[in-house]
Amino acid sequence: MSMRSQIYEWDGSRNTALTAAQAGTRVSVFIGGFGNNITKPAETTATQFVVIEDVAVTPSAFVSGLDTADYRGLTVSNGVAGPRAYVQVRINTTDYFLDPDNVGNDGIPGTASPYPRSLNFQPSFSLYPDVYVLPGQVFDVLVSFYNSEEFANVQCFVKYTLYDGPDALIANKLLEMGISINPGNVDWYKRTLIQSQSAMA
Amino acid sequence: MSMRSQVYEWANLAPASQTATLRRGTDNQPKYVAASTEYDVFIGGIGNNITKPAETTATQFIVIEDIACTPHLGGAVQVRINTTDYFQNPDVTDQKGVPGLASPYPRGAASTSGGTDNLLKSFDLYPDVYVLPGQVFQILYSQRTATSTTDTEVVAAFVKYTLYDGPDALIANKLLELGVTINPNNVDWYKRTLIEQQQRTAVAAAAGGQA
Repeated sequence: MSMRSQIYEWDGSRNTALTAAQAGTRVSVFIGGFGNNITKPAETTATQFVVIEDVAVTPSAFVSGLDTADYRGLTVSNGVAGPRAYVQVRINTTDYFLDPDNVGNDGIPGTASPYPRSLNFQPSFSLYPDVYVLPGQVFDVLVSFYNSEEFANVQCFVKYTLYDGPDALIANKLLEMGISINPGNVDWYKRTLIQSQSAMA
Repeated sequence: MSMRSQVYEWANLAPASQTATLRRGTDNQPKYVAASTEYDVFIGGIGNNITKPAETTATQFIVIEDIACTPHLGGAVQVRINTTDYFQNPDVTDQKGVPGLASPYPRGAASTSGGTDNLLKSFDLYPDVYVLPGQVFQILYSQRTATSTTDTEVVAAFVKYTLYDGPDALIANKLLELGVTINPNNVDWYKRTLIEQQQRTAVAAAAGGQA
């Protein structure tokens, strides 16, 4: 089991729940101190390679500035129904998503990459090319929200594939060769190795 | 990380005392958007903006893969490269661009503010729009009906693009010369062919040396 599909779901209402004070700030879904957390920062060891394939967060809808009633189950504030949440990926100290002026932004809007997906909220965004976390790197997924009246149900979802041991070495080799790292290509590389060994024998 | 998927979301939301902001805030309120006026979502002076016009440097190449906007109030989005609008009428006159009804943001949004229907997209930006090194690009949002001054509605626009930087931007230019579609797969394919060529050359040189 050296290639494993993994997911991480973060729920801001669990354990120490988010409060209005966190509105406008970035919260790490791994070690941010709010919602469910893990024991230490997310990082790859020397023999691991992580490929982040999807990030998503609670969506919002755009309505009228005077509306105060719930819309599609989401609380409305200042014309936005929902938390107005965004999700950013950080590798070591570098934010992945930037504005066109090369300044780091809040990341992917939940409106573009909703979690959960529904008829009301469908994705406009797919994370392609994937984000690679090389051996020895620390990575983080940061959620921010701006609606201080709708933060109780902020959730975030991360889907990634963990390559470990020999498969992480192959992932590095594929990276050098300029080949996309996915389970199909790792298997292809293994097959070519076996075929070349068989041909020599 | 020289090929990166990027997004930009614009909404007519800014602090009470301003019409535009560089950072989103918790106190943001909807701002008035006039009818039939094109607003640059990057530096248009309404809602969230960035510090300077969107442009590519000499070592960057951008491929715009999707544009969308809120469907209510007759919203539409246009792409402008330098001074040229991408979407034109058949008689080569100006138009407003892709309607939010055809490319709604969010997908599944209602056709009216607070409505109950779910719109699906009728439009795919394919082929993609290329922004070559050194070009300035704008995403222009406009709407047929102005937002009311008393009951201001929130409208938004969304852009998804891939930023090729450094060596990958050079490869993107090469693919453009070759007439090959620029996407991450084809950039990777070009890298592989370069590596294979180098390996063949090295093997041939080694074989020649032995002989």
